[in-house]
Amino acid sequence: MAITLYDFELSGNCYKLRLLMSILGVRYDIIPVDFYPGRQHKSDWFLKLNPLGQLPVLVDDGLVLRDSGAILAYLARKYDPSGLWFPTEPVQLAEVLQWHAFADDITATASAARLALGMFYDFDLPKVQAGAHRLFRLMDEHLWFGEREGRAWLCAAPHPTTADIACFPYVMLSEEGNISRMDYPAIRRWSDRVRRIPGFTVMSGIFPAGRAAAE
Amino acid sequence: MTTPSPIDAVTRDLWQVIAAVDETPVGVVSTTLLLDQRLAFSRDSDGSPVVWLRTTEEHGDEIDLATVTVRLPVISGYGYIWTSFGNPPDHLFPIPEYAEPDRVNMSCGSIGVGSSAPRIVENFLDMGHFPYVHTDILGAEPHTEVKEYDVEVSEERDEVLATRCRFFQPRAALSATEGIEVEYIYRVPHPFCSVLYKSCPEDVTRQDVIAIFLQPMTAETTRAHLLQSMIDSTSTITDLRRFQQTIFGQDKPILENQYPKRLPLDPRAETPIRADKSAIAYRRWLSQKGITYGTIPMAS
Amino acid sequence: MTLSTTDTTWYPVASSTDLPLRHVFHGQLLGRELAIWRADDGNVNVWENRCLHRGVRLSIGINEGGELKCQYHGWRYANRSAGCTYIPAHPADAPARRITNTTYPAVEAFGLVWSANNGAAEFAPFDGSASAEWLALRPMPINATTEDVLKALEGYAVTAEKGILGVATVTERLPGLAVKVTVELKEGHRSIVFFVQPVDSNRCVVRGLLDHTFPDINAQLRSHNEGLVQLRDRLERLAEKKPIPEPLTPSFEKVSVELSTMPEITIGSALTLRAMVKRKWATATGITAFELTALDGNHLPTFQPGAHIDVHLPNGLSRQYSITNGPGELLSYTIGVKRDLASKGGSEVLIDTVREGDVLAISEPRNNFPLRRDTIRTVLIAGGIGITPILSMARFLAKSNLPYELHYIVRSEDQIAFRDQIDALGANVTLHIGLPRAAIAETITKTLGAHSFAQHVYICGPGSLLETVRTTAADLGWPDEAVHYEYFRNDRVIDDSSAFEVELARSAMTLHIPSGKTVLEVMREAGLQVSSSCEQGACGTCLTGVMEGTPDHQDVYLNASEKRANNCMMTCVSRSLTPRLVLDI
Repeated sequence: MAITLYDFELSGNCYKLRLLMSILGVRYDIIPVDFYPGRQHKSDWFLKLNPLGQLPVLVDDGLVLRDSGAILAYLARKYDPSGLWFPTEPVQLAEVLQWHAFADDITATASAARLALGMFYDFDLPKVQAGAHRLFRLMDEHLWFGEREGRAWLCAAPHPTTADIACFPYVMLSEEGNISRMDYPAIRRWSDRVRRIPGFTVMSGIFPAGRAAAE
Repeated sequence: MTTPSPIDAVTRDLWQVIAAVDETPVGVVSTTLLLDQRLAFSRDSDGSPVVWLRTTEEHGDEIDLATVTVRLPVISGYGYIWTSFGNPPDHLFPIPEYAEPDRVNMSCGSIGVGSSAPRIVENFLDMGHFPYVHTDILGAEPHTEVKEYDVEVSEERDEVLATRCRFFQPRAALSATEGIEVEYIYRVPHPFCSVLYKSCPEDVTRQDVIAIFLQPMTAETTRAHLLQSMIDSTSTITDLRRFQQTIFGQDKPILENQYPKRLPLDPRAETPIRADKSAIAYRRWLSQKGITYGTIPMAS
Repeated sequence: MTLSTTDTTWYPVASSTDLPLRHVFHGQLLGRELAIWRADDGNVNVWENRCLHRGVRLSIGINEGGELKCQYHGWRYANRSAGCTYIPAHPADAPARRITNTTYPAVEAFGLVWSANNGAAEFAPFDGSASAEWLALRPMPINATTEDVLKALEGYAVTAEKGILGVATVTERLPGLAVKVTVELKEGHRSIVFFVQPVDSNRCVVRGLLDHTFPDINAQLRSHNEGLVQLRDRLERLAEKKPIPEPLTPSFEKVSVELSTMPEITIGSALTLRAMVKRKWATATGITAFELTALDGNHLPTFQPGAHIDVHLPNGLSRQYSITNGPGELLSYTIGVKRDLASKGGSEVLIDTVREGDVLAISEPRNNFPLRRDTIRTVLIAGGIGITPILSMARFLAKSNLPYELHYIVRSEDQIAFRDQIDALGANVTLHIGLPRAAIAETITKTLGAHSFAQHVYICGPGSLLETVRTTAADLGWPDEAVHYEYFRNDRVIDDSSAFEVELARSAMTLHIPSGKTVLEVMREAGLQVSSSCEQGACGTCLTGVMEGTPDHQDVYLNASEKRANNCMMTCVSRSLTPRLVLDI
């Protein structure tokens, strides 16, 4: 068993996989891809791995996978013996997949704003920023009522799932796209909870949370 | 958009970095922002850079550079293109190590930062944040002490120089009690550029050189250009870039959460400690030079 | 209506439920950003969102329960006072205690946290607040002016309430940007009060309070959230068509001149304040504890672990006592006083004549026994009453989850002071009860072990114990800078027979010191203001730089290598081995 992650340190989508593998205690090797400024994800050798020219790519024993959400599901099903991180019960499964799709919308907005300001990508900045705020408002509302109803995570289950992992990075990196989280106190509290999951690891741009209060 | 900030006379006459030479395509327009002004630049067929005030050109347009008659001054140095709005000096500040034949020189990407260039220089000079911001790489709690070091403003070279800077850094191996004390020298040879020299693991007689060249796009937004000039026969360029981007990516959220974004030059604006000697010298030096772009000058 | 950054009105700035333990809330009022956090003791802190060192937002920092830690350089600020207690870049130094962040007043009431940019006015509950139990609605941030939001809220109830939850009958404006809506239900009248928190010129948060006796409270919360979302969307569509008002620009207060100089200058004599004895109790045989509070019910000044206060006694004497408190505990100082028959009437007076309710003059805390927090291992050793500063150190280390062990040496079980605090530290504490004198050195040897990098030991107790630990540590190879101690007093006989000249470099003055007089006394006679405390070479308060000449130290404050360096001395006991000394005064 050997897992290889084609990885760019500053990519939130790559970080999703590093984060879940760290939590699950899965060992893996990294092949760094120079996404910026080298644009190696558009190079011939990389396009052979992923014709879409997108990071991350994960290779597990010869199996080549792309798309962070799909890989999260794969890793959780294969390497999480508890089965909690990616449940298969129909209602729970649908719920997780809804949030995986929501995470892709966050990528299309918050991550785009970050790329525009940090790496000078040509995106419509006000539009993607407004789009991120729209999503964050929904997410904050969902989490606020969740706290009120005794739910700490994005899905109804009493434990975190890949939905939380998928949404976390680009929420946390939003301020690099000039998208403040001041108006989303429930998201800020949720992000403390995610950062306190045993096995949590950071990426550049995300600081660890302090310890929780003793029970 | 915010209104442009006035450009002080010193800043106007400086060479200002705008892009890595290798990342600038030949015959195609690139655009950027410098000191609140829109610039266009490209390279002609022999590779030499051309910079002009942007009018109608769009990023990515093909261009015949012969049609560009009104040009800004331009110079290439350390792998980057530099220009100026005033009368720049004949040469860039020296980094003699860059020319040593066995060094690996590389750009590490130009990163946008929502802060002023002087705030970024000051962070580059700072060691006290290593354990908190670059945890387990450049420092780790509990080893937080900033030992006494020396700072001078070199009259001859007109630059701030900090020497005998030492900091305890954890070893990559996780043996928590083992570590090495790394020695640094910092130079600020330009109000918006800094160069550091760091003990080189591969050759104890030499030093790795890391420089940061800052392009003030506006008084409160900056493009940071990083240069590494390393003695390293094993790592790939991708590895080395990844390391530097990791470090800078950790500094970025700190810089973007600093207020005010412009560097205050009034000593009573913030609270310095002994560890901040180099920052204090830098602020005084900027103040004496009369740099107002990206700073909050002392009320006179 | 114009918003002012110096407005004295109290506005809600957060919900109580926004502040779980170990979290920092990011808020804003009238253009000024706030870091709001609840300490483990329940206290809510509302601070300017800016570390005084380099201006980094404290809302990205870490709430450690009793202190807030800045993310940039790890500076710690104390609960309640916002005073800086630790600067990791200089772990061996006690930070200038007046590095204090800007704080704003905070009151928690009706499920909301209230604050004011300008604390000149007292908090007053809103009209009708006593008539119900209140529950905070989900806050609704809106990008529009307070004016427009208030106007919309006046029309809110009629549209949103109809049908499902009852019919709004009356809406009225309350003072302080608030609208009260009365709803008619089958069960009778119920109220909802909406407060508008002016965040900036074009941003607000609507914070609603709902009468707890409404039926079906969860449905109410959902329904009002929906109503406010609609109101928000409508207002923001309108606001987009209006010119955006200039944002408010609150000014940042400057730090004091003494903090802006570098290196930090030492602060002169500490201010005196009055404190009341809230509680006095026997904490162990022969040891009386006193809990001292401020007279106005506010918090006391910031202290650091290891700090002491001077207590000015009714008989004119002044004595030093260490503070035993943990981080952020500033509502009172607890000290321990041992009945000491040998003392010149210090402890006796306190124990025998001072009663609960009495007022004492005390100094601000001063720290000559600073605790490093950059260690891999910290060994704390207390003998008898020496537990007082050591207990504070242990509580700070415990709160920050730093590795430490506390060895407490007492003659008998009944002499263990502050037993419940000691027990709360759990397995980190080893009690050594009735250890024979001969066994102490052996125990210390076993405890310390060989020295390795970043290990430090702190000792407080009787002189004989200090000597034993110092000798043992030296034998085991512990360097002087890893051995920290505090003497209660200098038991040595001071030889004051010499006579010499002292030149004061900065004051441009030369003084003759005759035999029988101290340098300190002669300086004071010459009209100089110099601070001192114990005046027996134990506390370090009068520490002075020596520029020329060789001092005859005689103190117990400096360690052997510091004495050998001959670059500082205590003006209260140190004299000169050379005919002339040049001091940095």
